[in-house]
Amino acid sequence: MKSNAFHAIALAVFLIAIGASIFFVKTVRLDYPLQPGTKASVWTIEVFLDFMAKDEPARIDLFIPTADAARDVSGEEFYNGSFGLNLMNEPGAGNRKAVWSYRFPSNRKVLRYSAQTRGETASTPLPDWFAASAPRSTPFEADPVKRQAFIVWTASLRRRSADDATFADLMLREIFGGPADRGEDADEQAVLLKDLAPPLDRLELARETLAAQGLQARIANGVRLIEDIRRAETIHWLEYRVAGEDRRFFPGGAPARFLTIWRGVDGLVTANGVSELDLQIAISSQRSSAAALAQEAGARAEPLARLFSFGDLPLTTQLVYKTLVTIPVGITLLVFLRQFVGVQTLGTFMPVLIGIAFRETALLNGVILFTTLIAMGLAVRFYLERLQLLLVPRLAVVLIFIVIAMAGITILMTDNNQAIGLSISLFPMVIITMTIERMSILWEESSAGEAIKQGVGSLVVASLAYLAMSNAHVEYLMYNFPELLFLLMGTCVLMGRYTGLRLSEVWRFRQLARA
Amino acid sequence: MLDAWRKLRDKGVIGVNERNLDFVALRNPRRLLNRVDDKVETKRLADLANIPNPELYGVVRDGRDARALPELLARPDGCVIKPARGSQGKGILVIDGPLQGGWRLANGRRVSGADVRHHVNNILSGMYSLGGQPDAALIEYRVKFDPVFGPICFKGVPDVRVIVLRGVPAFAMLRLPTAESDGKANLHRGGVGVGVDIVTGETRTGMQFDRPITLHPDTAEPLAGIAVPHWDDILTMAARAYDVTELGYLGVDIVLDEEKGPLLLELNARPGLSIQIANQLGMRAHLKSIAGLDLEVATAQMRVRLGKHTFEKSFGGDGAADNEPLTREPPAPKRPILDVVEGGLAGAAA
Repeated sequence: MKSNAFHAIALAVFLIAIGASIFFVKTVRLDYPLQPGTKASVWTIEVFLDFMAKDEPARIDLFIPTADAARDVSGEEFYNGSFGLNLMNEPGAGNRKAVWSYRFPSNRKVLRYSAQTRGETASTPLPDWFAASAPRSTPFEADPVKRQAFIVWTASLRRRSADDATFADLMLREIFGGPADRGEDADEQAVLLKDLAPPLDRLELARETLAAQGLQARIANGVRLIEDIRRAETIHWLEYRVAGEDRRFFPGGAPARFLTIWRGVDGLVTANGVSELDLQIAISSQRSSAAALAQEAGARAEPLARLFSFGDLPLTTQLVYKTLVTIPVGITLLVFLRQFVGVQTLGTFMPVLIGIAFRETALLNGVILFTTLIAMGLAVRFYLERLQLLLVPRLAVVLIFIVIAMAGITILMTDNNQAIGLSISLFPMVIITMTIERMSILWEESSAGEAIKQGVGSLVVASLAYLAMSNAHVEYLMYNFPELLFLLMGTCVLMGRYTGLRLSEVWRFRQLARA
Repeated sequence: MLDAWRKLRDKGVIGVNERNLDFVALRNPRRLLNRVDDKVETKRLADLANIPNPELYGVVRDGRDARALPELLARPDGCVIKPARGSQGKGILVIDGPLQGGWRLANGRRVSGADVRHHVNNILSGMYSLGGQPDAALIEYRVKFDPVFGPICFKGVPDVRVIVLRGVPAFAMLRLPTAESDGKANLHRGGVGVGVDIVTGETRTGMQFDRPITLHPDTAEPLAGIAVPHWDDILTMAARAYDVTELGYLGVDIVLDEEKGPLLLELNARPGLSIQIANQLGMRAHLKSIAGLDLEVATAQMRVRLGKHTFEKSFGGDGAADNEPLTREPPAPKRPILDVVEGGLAGAAA
């Protein structure tokens, strides 16, 4: 007994000493900052291609960003597998392509491209050739009806505008605005806009309209650099120049920072000879100071910095670990709340799992969603009790009901433009089902009060765990100093040897203290 | 709060953390836990050692066994359906007798044969068992409880819980059902716990919902000063439960039957801590002195006497225990000699 305790404490001290000393070396000797930087400046973009090869010659063309003076794209890396790689420049369009090819590939294949960039902002200048006037031309050569409508509409726009700038503004408003913005040529616009899917086709119409006025314009495509995201969507916008001023028009609202990947109306990727193509664009930011020091420290103390850093992993994996390393913080908090405070929860680690699910929904939405689903599930569970079903089928019925309820909430909320609807999909329905089963048994066997007490306890622990795990500072510390995991582990070992009374027990036995 | 914490620590009040670490984990090896967690196994061991316990009418292990339920349940005196691996009294159905093609429960409610089958199916699929593993349902003799507790027993069956450390009875509590606990002697549900003096077998103070009380909440009769009959038999049974299970820290539940005397109801390897409130005593000091006893060759009767003696030394008393001869003086608790179970554990840990 004594030797066990000694052993445990020795292990805890050992673990804490390891964690603390590496942390100490990194912060004091290598000058790792303890605060996350205020401004993100280096973005890593990674494009994943995942597809099924069909045993026939395969060729995958992927547009990749070009480096130019206005913004730099550096640190490009390609993962080719067995494929041959050819980089092609298309100077006319200002595009660059990576062409992967292989004669007879088979099975599932993965290709990857990654690069670092500072990105662009609305003030990034357009190329010089935008200053020259474009050759005038009228589109829709083959379609007399559309051509006529185009001529009438542009003439009307010219009449109603003062100069090129107001012409462009008016034109964009009428193309992308609602029916109320259509102005006096609604019929002509209806002809032109029919069958034009927003945003790309409409951007092309806008480009043609500007070109017909002799104004330089082009469609650019890329991604927003706003947050760390594992599946970024491509966005499309119009770049043009009027009255000596560079302008960009983003149909969905202008992002603060973005990266142009290619220009024109082609798709990002063209694949021949493969099926089930899945394209994934991952983006992550490195805080300026941390990024600078990571390189610096890498040079100074290579082995230590590399051993305890996620920097060399592929970007998608890095993003997964950004989340994973915060989970032990939530777990440690849960251990504290259980062993020292004595909070009662449904299931051991269930609250932490719920807390992880809150990451997708944010706290308030998550709590509302969780409570609603549990309440609905409990109602169904009590109804099912009367039907006398066997345990496992009954659990299955509740689980299916939860999925239906989640689908219902999603549809309802998406109609109301609530982000909650979209984030729900990852909510852990198995955990919710088990929670419902546990709660209903507790409800019957003990009391409604006990069930609600433990349910609320779980929710409180889940919320606290979520707050701890999603805290930007905690995430930064855990991700950049993974050695803190040893510290947490040692703390948990120590807490595992605590034999004193819990706070809830002090309350429970309070009368004995008085006597 | 910190002040209360310090006072409770000085009084030797034990919390769940300490119980789990210093008593359950240390004295109850995991491989032996099946002996108490599975009530069928407990009964088998008790029968082997001739410890009286409610007669087992049958065990339902699967759907095929369940077809024989109507015959198993058809007892003139009623019967009890229990999950073999249930805890805290969950999933227990007390059947009074047949009623209009169904069954009348002890609380007066009528249930159909289908209701009983559904309940048994729930037991079999593990709804009441620890960890939800598949379980068996056992059907056993329904205890006709001794009316000795009449004035302080509202309805249902009272039982005696004895905490046994290394085979030495350390603390005891009488558990009384109340209207609030729906006739179950379960403290979580509002049953009353009354501390019992290990030496004399007389009730001391009571508690309900972790708060001390002196009168029974339903009958308003004083709880203290009632002698529990067959007290030495009860303590000896509790001590012998250690011999058959080899679990060093045990909660032994014993019920008093009108005809058959004390019967072993069930065993618990993680007995609750409310017994401290019922007795108004912290457990640590007394348990520590029992841990220091030399018990190498002590029989159950000797351990009962040692238990009484130590209890008296720990908490004082009227000297009743001194009248009983001790076969062996307890040694100075400087160098504890561990018994066989502990020796095995220490060896495994090293």
